[in-house]
Amino acid sequence: MFKKSILAGIVVALGLTTTAAIAEYPSKPVTIIVPSKAGGSTDRTARLFTEVAEKNYDGFEFIIKNIPGSGGQKGFEAIARATPDGHTIGLVFTPQLVAHIVSGRAKYTLDSFHIMGNTAQDPAIVVVPKDSPIKSMADLAAAAKANALTVAVNGIGSDDFLAAKSFESATGVTFNLLPTKGSTEQKAAILGGHVDAAFMNLSQMIKQHQAGDARIIALLTEERDEHLPDMPTAKEQGYEVFMRATRGFVAPAGIDEAIQTRLDTMLAEVMATDEFQEKAKTGSIFLLPMTGPDYLAYLKDLMAQTKAVYDKAPW
Amino acid sequence: MLEHIAVVFTFSSLLTIAIGTTAGVAIGGMPGLTATMAVGLLVPFTYTMDPTAGLMLLGGIYCGAMYGGSIPAILLNTPGTPAAVATAIEGYPMSRKGHAGLALKVSVVASFVGGTFSVFILLMFAPLLARQALAFGPAETFLLALMGLAGIISIADENSSLIKALIAGLLGMIIAIVGTDDMSGSLRYTGGLIELIDGIDFMPALIGLFSMIQMLELAGMHQHEIDTSTLHKTQKREPLPKGIGKHIALGSGTGTVIGILPGEGATIAAFISYNLSKRISRAKELFGKGNPEGIAAAESGNNGCVGGSLVPTLTLGIPGNSVAAALMGAFIIQGMIPGPELFTEYADRTYPFILSLFVANGVFLLVGLGFAPYLARIALVPPALMVPVVGAFAVLGSYALNNAVFDVYLMIAFALGGLILKKLGYSLEALILGLILGPIAEGGFTQGMIIGKGSPWIFIESPIAKVMWVIIFLLLLPPLYSYYKNVHLGKEDPV
Repeated sequence: MFKKSILAGIVVALGLTTTAAIAEYPSKPVTIIVPSKAGGSTDRTARLFTEVAEKNYDGFEFIIKNIPGSGGQKGFEAIARATPDGHTIGLVFTPQLVAHIVSGRAKYTLDSFHIMGNTAQDPAIVVVPKDSPIKSMADLAAAAKANALTVAVNGIGSDDFLAAKSFESATGVTFNLLPTKGSTEQKAAILGGHVDAAFMNLSQMIKQHQAGDARIIALLTEERDEHLPDMPTAKEQGYEVFMRATRGFVAPAGIDEAIQTRLDTMLAEVMATDEFQEKAKTGSIFLLPMTGPDYLAYLKDLMAQTKAVYDKAPW
Repeated sequence: MLEHIAVVFTFSSLLTIAIGTTAGVAIGGMPGLTATMAVGLLVPFTYTMDPTAGLMLLGGIYCGAMYGGSIPAILLNTPGTPAAVATAIEGYPMSRKGHAGLALKVSVVASFVGGTFSVFILLMFAPLLARQALAFGPAETFLLALMGLAGIISIADENSSLIKALIAGLLGMIIAIVGTDDMSGSLRYTGGLIELIDGIDFMPALIGLFSMIQMLELAGMHQHEIDTSTLHKTQKREPLPKGIGKHIALGSGTGTVIGILPGEGATIAAFISYNLSKRISRAKELFGKGNPEGIAAAESGNNGCVGGSLVPTLTLGIPGNSVAAALMGAFIIQGMIPGPELFTEYADRTYPFILSLFVANGVFLLVGLGFAPYLARIALVPPALMVPVVGAFAVLGSYALNNAVFDVYLMIAFALGGLILKKLGYSLEALILGLILGPIAEGGFTQGMIIGKGSPWIFIESPIAKVMWVIIFLLLLPPLYSYYKNVHLGKEDPV
């Protein structure tokens, strides 16, 4: 008897939530899970979004919850596990999101998420010390053939690591890879001339390059970048090596469709505002808006590429 | 320069700095709240503030928190930051003898001198020094960690059990092995727990080993045995001990130099300063029993790191430690990307920020000196009140570090395990030193070996490395010699 009434209660409650969900949404602040530390670039992207979104959407309040660690895995898992009621969404970044799946460490899959869309990106670059004789990708390949070059990458399984591996397989060279803890160590190694080259991201080295403290020799994107328009891509130099970091919004899969559509639209609208774009520029966030379906396709493609690298040389 | 000074000495700037610094002192003083966390969380809020004011606020927090960690270390043996562990070794015995007021005074004066000296160096020589620091590579980082680990010997000959201190240090390093191997990406002893992939955070360990154990011990005491007789005399103001200047100068220099080097500086700086000061002290035998000289060296050392760590942060974009990294986020969010532009295009914000750090040091000096007599009374709070309050902070603080309940369990596990070790005479200071420096040593060693392409020659090749080896031997030989003398001449049984 008692059990029955509980069951009935649950059924009623469920019925209420589906029908009344959108009418009462949002009934409380929306939590955005940021899988990295407060103050970092992913965190800044999230806070920029909340600032503009709160101003333009009445009734919406956001709480940022930082869950740093394990190359984002802790945070990604938390987003996947969150109650799909539209009150928790999160940021993810690549290639770590798919790398954890490929390496078999993740409990989530891409199906655990509804992909809302991409926001920002950071092209991968190859950088050498300022007085290095290496001035192009061809120099790098030649030098690496003659001698094992010491090349700094930010940890195993990171975008830098994948890019370096993909350059190795494109040219047949083998680097003496130096994994570092964070880009700061890479920067110190390049500026101090302790390594021959490093695979990094543009935002981490653009100022040092412009100041003449280090030399970027190639961008690893399909096209040149507006922030450094004179810098040729690896493709232009004859090397088909591509890598970029992306940062996009996702929600746990299974959110009421009306609510999900509202969130997706809000993301697209906020990214289109002048205010958002202006502030992103000041804060050195390179924007790359992508719709949910486009970003999902990108992720699937990236996962296939990452798997190819992993199968050859697992970590 | 004058117009920059004028920016600092407006009412609103001074108020901002004072608020930041005072909040920093409070944050540094509470177990589990760290300067890294505070700066990281406040960075987004400074976004809407005037850029210069925002940076001043964060700078004040950084300076204040570095000093604040010493207050509970001295009064309750519960260092708020790992950099204050060395301070606790001397400060707490002083409190127990009723000299808490003096210990606090030494600590604040040393912090002030160390902090001010390092900011002065930052202001005058930043670009020049940053270039020099770049020569310091992974191999030298390994040697720096070794220098820090030499502090275990120093802790040992106080507790007069070298073997047990070494075992504790080793245990700390073994615990630090858990987590991802950065060189291969493989997982070590994580037992399938996602929480252990990043390894064991030293903050829950610090809170468990010191704050929690201290509370457990307090709760277990029949009588609160603190000599209160001299405490009432503190109003008379005990003068600073003679000859303390030498130790403050030593700590300031050491701290600033180590702060400039990349890597987690403040803890290493405090321990190396402490260790060096013990070597030059005329009253070596008082170390570990409440020697103000040790406090002076450790505190000037860790505050020296503040200015030092900002040298590579502002000029090259290479943060000297995690607080500086969070602070760098605040610069970037305002469009001020570290590099030469900070001192040209953004000079009107950068210089007032650097100058504001002088004011911040002054603020905590006033706060520290003004409140020392009242703070000293914290040690008199009855355990019935103290234990639950500090215990609650320990739990909250552990959780707040990463928003993770797992860290709370970790903290409790460290408290229970540590209590047993402490009762058996193992040094918890050595354990935490091993836990913090183990990964730094490992990273430096493996990266050095990779850069050296498998040859260990890299660890002695550079001139810097050679000098560091000499210092390591100077730190290690005297205590080992006296240990040998004691054991073989049978003066006393040290084990």
